[in-house]
Amino acid sequence: MLSLRGLEVFYGPIRAVRGVDLDVQAGEIVALIGANGAGKSTTVRAIAGLLPFRGEIRFDGRTLQPNAAERNLRAGIALVPEGRGILGRMTVEENLLMGLYGRSDRAEAATDMARMRERFPILRARADALASQLSGGEQQMLAIARALLSRPRLLLLDEPSLGLAPKMSDLVFRLISSLRDEGVTVLLVEQKARQTLRVADRAYLLETGRVVTSGTAAELSDDSLISETFLGGTTGRAQHG
Amino acid sequence: MLLQQLVNGLTLGAVYTLIALSFSLVMGILGILNIAIAELFMIGGFLGFAAIAAGLPLPAAVAVGMAGAAAIAFLIEKIAYQPLRDAPLITPLLSTLGVSIILQNVATNVWGSDPLQLPAEWFDRRFQLGPVSIGAMQLVVIGVTVALVALLAYLVQRTSVGRALRAVAENRDIARLLGVSASRITLLAFMLSGALAGAAGVMISLHYAAITPYVGVETGLKAIAVMVVGGVTRIFGALIAGPLIGIVEVLTVAYGGSQVRDLVVYGLMILILLLRPQGILGGARTDLGQRV
Repeated sequence: MLSLRGLEVFYGPIRAVRGVDLDVQAGEIVALIGANGAGKSTTVRAIAGLLPFRGEIRFDGRTLQPNAAERNLRAGIALVPEGRGILGRMTVEENLLMGLYGRSDRAEAATDMARMRERFPILRARADALASQLSGGEQQMLAIARALLSRPRLLLLDEPSLGLAPKMSDLVFRLISSLRDEGVTVLLVEQKARQTLRVADRAYLLETGRVVTSGTAAELSDDSLISETFLGGTTGRAQHG
Repeated sequence: MLLQQLVNGLTLGAVYTLIALSFSLVMGILGILNIAIAELFMIGGFLGFAAIAAGLPLPAAVAVGMAGAAAIAFLIEKIAYQPLRDAPLITPLLSTLGVSIILQNVATNVWGSDPLQLPAEWFDRRFQLGPVSIGAMQLVVIGVTVALVALLAYLVQRTSVGRALRAVAENRDIARLLGVSASRITLLAFMLSGALAGAAGVMISLHYAAITPYVGVETGLKAIAVMVVGGVTRIFGALIAGPLIGIVEVLTVAYGGSQVRDLVVYGLMILILLLRPQGILGGARTDLGQRV
């Protein structure tokens, strides 16, 4: 469904992503794990169309152009960015309506909206509140619900558990798991490797803009490098936060 | 006398409100001051004059002024803003300043630098309400302003396009991720802004039954004052600040003389900003983001 070949992204003279190859098959949950500054967020932002890049990104057989976020959304790619990206000066309801912005199937869109309100009762209860007044967990729910309303085939989630209380973080991971059952393909960027490998089918470990290892979640859970770095090892290469 | 001056002040304030909203729309989306708006106001006025002179009815003259100013705003976006989008903010500010000088020059060459005037009997019907005498054109100015502000409020607050405008104003990248074409919305903001300035130009020139190519600078500066006084993050702050500045200006002229008019108006602006740097409706001081 998605393939990256030799992806390079520059921030001015700095090469943040240095030749990443990556594949995501339809229906999978694939995780990108790695420390701060490894290039995970940059990679998904490039896929979503927010950044210029070199190399090739193909989605459903089509080559994606750099910096074409609006077109990529129409093609079926949605990104929930790091920090949630809610529109804080709009109400919860208006944020959800923005999720329908690109859709022309009005009747189905209304049905999806009703379903989303059922699925996230808290968003229904706080429909008229400003989105900035929601708690971090509620904002994350809003951001995911809004992205789902565009009916993406590939959902990119950038650190969805960042800054959340453990209980809320568990809820977010359960939600990600449930997406697989609905046929949404997920590319998940996370630093919480243990929880991530529990929900993911496969994962890539990034370090300084390169893929250093990849495999199924089970393989990587046993991988000494991952284990050392993220799953309770003591080398301290990863800086969580 | 006082009531009469208040009505006159409201009329002037209505026009300031429209131009201030015009500045706010572009300011909110892009964070830049499109200085050329002051001259779009002037061009709108001339087009309205030309339409009336050609025998068109008043609504058509307003429509011509709005459409003409919106079309020029389209060109300004394409030529003087879009290519400079990634440049420092001062660059588009200077390019729109350049456009405004060009527009004034064009108007001087096309219509001459002497004031154009409508015959005194044009639209001179007046209504007497007790001690207050209201000209038909004053009613038109206030009525059209109320209608346009209501329309703009509906568009910005209640429609999908309005939400997209606000989304781009709040966070351009997030809006793009939601499928909003930020460049198209920017162009729309320029054109809406031009249309509002054009409408204001038609109405003020017909109200005074006179126009010169230099009317834009003075009125435009007052409208910027209205926008600033209204509040940095509140687009509709102009609804309070416009009538306020209009009334203060008219009362100053009536009771203090026109020689102290600008001193009082801009003095008031500085005073309000000293007391409330965020403007009348500016909200919290931390709320200094973009507008709309």
